[in-house]
Amino acid sequence: MELICIGLSHRTAPLTVRERLALSEARQVEVLQRLAQAPVEALWVSTCNRVEVYLSAPDAAMARQRVLGEIQALGGPEALEHLYEHQGENALVHLFRVAGSLDSMVLGEAQILGQVKDAFERGQGAGAVRGELTRACAAAFSCAKRVRTETAIGRASTSMAAAAVQLASKVFDGLKDKTVLVVGAGEMGELAARHLKGAGATKLFITNRTLARAEGLAAEVGGTARPFDELFALLAAADVVVCSTASPVPLFTKENVGSVGRARKGRPLFMVDLAVPRDIDPGVGSLDWVHAYDVDDIQKFVADNAAARAEEAQKAGVLVAQEVARFVKERALREGTPVLARLRQRAEAIARAEVERTLGALGDSLNDKQRKSIEAMGRAIVNKLLHEPTSRLRAVGPEGEGNRLAGAAAELFGLLELEDAASEKAVPVAAAPAQAATGAKR
Amino acid sequence: MSHTLVSLACHAYGLAAVVYLAYLVRQSEVLATAGRVLVGGGLALHGVALFELLGAQSGRPVGLAQGFSALAFLLLAIFLALDVRYRRPVLGAFITPLALTVLLPGLLLHGGQAPLPPGVRQPLLPLHISLALLGLAAFAVAAGVGVMYLLMEKQVKAKRFGLLFARLPSLEFLDTLNRRLVLWGFIALSITLVTGTAFVVTAPELGWHWDGKSIATVVAWGVFAALVNARIFAGWRGRRVALLTMAGFCLVLVSFLSSYDLASPTASAMRLP
Repeated sequence: MELICIGLSHRTAPLTVRERLALSEARQVEVLQRLAQAPVEALWVSTCNRVEVYLSAPDAAMARQRVLGEIQALGGPEALEHLYEHQGENALVHLFRVAGSLDSMVLGEAQILGQVKDAFERGQGAGAVRGELTRACAAAFSCAKRVRTETAIGRASTSMAAAAVQLASKVFDGLKDKTVLVVGAGEMGELAARHLKGAGATKLFITNRTLARAEGLAAEVGGTARPFDELFALLAAADVVVCSTASPVPLFTKENVGSVGRARKGRPLFMVDLAVPRDIDPGVGSLDWVHAYDVDDIQKFVADNAAARAEEAQKAGVLVAQEVARFVKERALREGTPVLARLRQRAEAIARAEVERTLGALGDSLNDKQRKSIEAMGRAIVNKLLHEPTSRLRAVGPEGEGNRLAGAAAELFGLLELEDAASEKAVPVAAAPAQAATGAKR
Repeated sequence: MSHTLVSLACHAYGLAAVVYLAYLVRQSEVLATAGRVLVGGGLALHGVALFELLGAQSGRPVGLAQGFSALAFLLLAIFLALDVRYRRPVLGAFITPLALTVLLPGLLLHGGQAPLPPGVRQPLLPLHISLALLGLAAFAVAAGVGVMYLLMEKQVKAKRFGLLFARLPSLEFLDTLNRRLVLWGFIALSITLVTGTAFVVTAPELGWHWDGKSIATVVAWGVFAALVNARIFAGWRGRRVALLTMAGFCLVLVSFLSSYDLASPTASAMRLP
């Protein structure tokens, strides 16, 4: 079954579109369960920079239409205009690159692998990630590990959080005497807190809707946890605010941030929004004393860093190509073996039937030794006949020619019909495709 | 001799300006060190020339050319001190061209020395002039820093992550530097005003004239006094402080230029020795 990737990312879609497709975990599971019933194997990868769906289904066209329908329903027709699509080996390469952080906004950042792993676990939990995607993800994770250990791509920094700290250094001359507020104690909040602490922040406050999580993170990184209802009191005292909550609406608006302006006496405030959907309304940046940055701004900022790490990215690209080739070879072997097995099964069945017919016709005129000789001859003919194609199929390997030969063998000997019949018995025919998605970029 | 030394110093400053501008494009410690050495060397030559000159003139620069020369010297001395203290060579990309702009007209002016009114031939005069020039130099650097602040703030606000964004120091550093320079400049300007007033009081024949120089100086003092107070008591900072510093510097510059009557026949006589 061919792998398909449909998605949009910081490269193709503006933040406003990505925000609409940034589903909560519960909603992602709902969508995955719907797809699993289709039946479509699906992996829904959602980060602040990308929303991608990886598919594998017996009926690829139907699966594709289902996913486009889901995307259109969530993000509106506009979302379809920003989609990209990869198929087959290209989809595999893309998955490996995403997991290896080669397609990230901040090249080499470490978070993406964890996010893909989370998506994988969610998919498995929803029953949407099964055989094919499980194997593809396992190979992608192993490739990502090689990329991190065998290249220096991850060493030069960095993450969105690290980039945020770097940006803060353009407003403040060090964070030592600054009051820093981290809003949201999720994975991104944790990274931000660690980077801010590492950059010398001593007055580090962490607030979260669930105070216990804030307390846990504060204890871990050496900050102070504060209840979420003190948010604006903390804002009045803060010099740097980094937020990454899952709030569906902005926490900070021009009005509520502006209201603490008098208490701040014009002290500059540096705000970084690592959340999608955004925690900081774009209007906040128009306040004279506020410097507000969202994930797209950070993308712009780190574009230069990407160039600096281009060499390592090239090395990592070679690793990805190797790993994809290995995966494709293994898959082809896996998929090729049943063709050979079925071919042998079919040949042996024919030989057995013919031997039995011959032996039946000859009746009792043959002794045991002669009967065994005829049976052995039948097996030998099968073996000798199949030896050459078996060796050739194994020798040419899984790609290109190998696939073509295996396909030809299956078709010549009528093995496909058998396979399809078996599939139809095992799996119910998919439901009608969802509404067509027109105008999608591909 | 002095003229040759100043000429050599001017070449060193010119090279330093090129080096610092190159540093702005390609940040390299080698360029930063080269810039420091060139400015330091230029200051040494320039200092010897000024020492020789001022020694012969009872410790006071005479004429616009010498005033410009001394101003450029102080401006670069302040810059070098800041660079050594804070290690921000990028300041040089803005300050060295400014110092060259101040120094070059002095080199182009010719003639002898301007006469000095007898009433101001007082022991306090060298202090008055030195502090006036020091204050002016401090305000000039503060204004340069103010320009850098405005440029950097524009990059930060517009989220333009270009060369200036990468090279310029943080907004906070520039604002803090502006505050310190304005404070020191204000102290120097205040003492200049006090000594200037003392001349009028002790030499009644001079009289108090509300001419361009006096008005510009008093208004500039008022601007800087308001600025220092607004910073301390109202928490002013950032863009408006940078703009006010630049406005105050323009006033002090008017006062400095008004100290020399460019229309008089002695204007053509003002030259570096």
